[in-house]
Amino acid sequence: MINTGFLTFVWRELKRFLSLYNQTLVPGLLTTVLYVVVFGKSLGGRIGEIKEVPYMSFIIPGLAMMNVITNAYSNSASSLFQAKIMKFMDDILITPLSGLEISVGYIIGGMARGVLNGILVLLLGMLLTGTTVAHPLLVLVFLLVVGWAFGAAGLLVGIYAKSFENIQVLVNFFFTPLVFLGGVFYSIDMLPPVWRDVSLFNPLYYMINGLRYAVLDVADSSPWWSLVVSIFAAVLFTSAGSILFARGYRIKE
Amino acid sequence: MTPAVEIRNLRKVYSGGVEALKGIELTVPAGEFFGLLGPNGAGKTTTIGITTGLVRITEGSVKVMGHDVVRQYRQARRRIGLAAQELNFDWFFAIEDLMVLQAGYYGVGKTLARERAVRLLDEFGLTSKRRVKPRELSGGMKRRFQIARSLVHDPDILILDEPTAGVDVELRHMLWNYLTRLNKEGRTIVLTTHYIEEAEKLCERVAIIDQGRIVATGSPAELVAGMNREGMKLQLENWNEETARALDGYKYDYTDGYLRIHINQPELRLTEIINRIISTGALVQDVKICRSTLEDAFIALTGHGIDD
Repeated sequence: MINTGFLTFVWRELKRFLSLYNQTLVPGLLTTVLYVVVFGKSLGGRIGEIKEVPYMSFIIPGLAMMNVITNAYSNSASSLFQAKIMKFMDDILITPLSGLEISVGYIIGGMARGVLNGILVLLLGMLLTGTTVAHPLLVLVFLLVVGWAFGAAGLLVGIYAKSFENIQVLVNFFFTPLVFLGGVFYSIDMLPPVWRDVSLFNPLYYMINGLRYAVLDVADSSPWWSLVVSIFAAVLFTSAGSILFARGYRIKE
Repeated sequence: MTPAVEIRNLRKVYSGGVEALKGIELTVPAGEFFGLLGPNGAGKTTTIGITTGLVRITEGSVKVMGHDVVRQYRQARRRIGLAAQELNFDWFFAIEDLMVLQAGYYGVGKTLARERAVRLLDEFGLTSKRRVKPRELSGGMKRRFQIARSLVHDPDILILDEPTAGVDVELRHMLWNYLTRLNKEGRTIVLTTHYIEEAEKLCERVAIIDQGRIVATGSPAELVAGMNREGMKLQLENWNEETARALDGYKYDYTDGYLRIHINQPELRLTEIINRIISTGALVQDVKICRSTLEDAFIALTGHGIDD
């Protein structure tokens, strides 16, 4: 699978989002600054600390994970959908690349954008708040696994989508609410027991919780369980997306 | 010798139930300039789509240089360059970079890909536009770029789907000359067209496709000869019984001063026939050579014109 054709396709995916850095990298940094300033400064003073971590530092991993999820998803979904709707997908389908290679190429593109955004947000957060990273290797593992999972989710949606609206609907009505309810700005231990239990059904909570543990060494539940949920999501979305793509669903006639 | 393209009992039924191909049989020998001639909706693009991996097969098989396009798709697709009918390009990259990327998808290394891109852009008169994105090219330039790009991985077979649709006369002739040169260099060329003149001028052999079926295959000359409509038409005075006897052995009909003789390559027998007629005392007032065209063949075989 690691051949010149595949590597060329991955390079194309990376080059696409890097050349559009104003749309793909800068906005995440800008919103992070806004969140830190608006939420951190205004609420931070009142909340003080959560689990002995200053509030401004507490929200940084959640913000990073929010960027990983939305960027990884948007990249592969929009890249695939553009190729489909503008009909230059045919230029890729006529090549010797397999459906799996093309699928994985899109996923890697999404993952790379997600991870790069996550790292930049973490670095910016560290700069703004003085936060230090507790488990750097685990940070990288969470960024890669979650980036992969949502790159694959983007692939799946890009295959299904018939309009750009289809892609955006999932961000607006699914990912963003689940991220906000997944404990970006609070610990679920602060919620009433019923709502805490409800939060445990939110898969995005585990991803935020895992990264928070890796960065700050504090967690609401086991980080290893978080890793299991993240890996499960990655396997599920990758399998579904690549099988559909290889079968040519909504891609080939 | 392994045929360049071998199509056996190919059927395609689209999800809406439309049967686009109804059991096509076709063989294109390696090195041939082959034309697939048919009206819009005849099944040309579907045939090309299946051959290049863009459309799924319902039934039958397609082999490219002996490789099955489904089971051995990598080997098959490496041998094909496709210039599709529609001009859609990746809009993020300059055209030279797009050529390098396309070559890369086929496994060509970056240095060689860049060399080929530079050479092909030069051959197609696009060097000055190399850093420009496709959407900034004119229609004719897009068509040139598309064909240049289809050659960047050096395929054995070049498939062109309606390459001259909507291009001006100058570019059409430039493309015809270029394709003829490529074919002479040994590349197999498969061309779909609904321009009869194009098929007649370029193709060694032509398959006429209509409503999902191949209705005839042969060289343009063979298809035309099969019509038996060639001959000569003479306007005569003093037609008599002796004139009729002088034409023994020829298939003809005479009505109201007009004699129609059905004969292939009539120019070869023109002098002899006129001599026979005037030796009987008849006078030849006018002579017309009648030729069949590929269009006649098309109409005779399909029952309608190519643009109907």
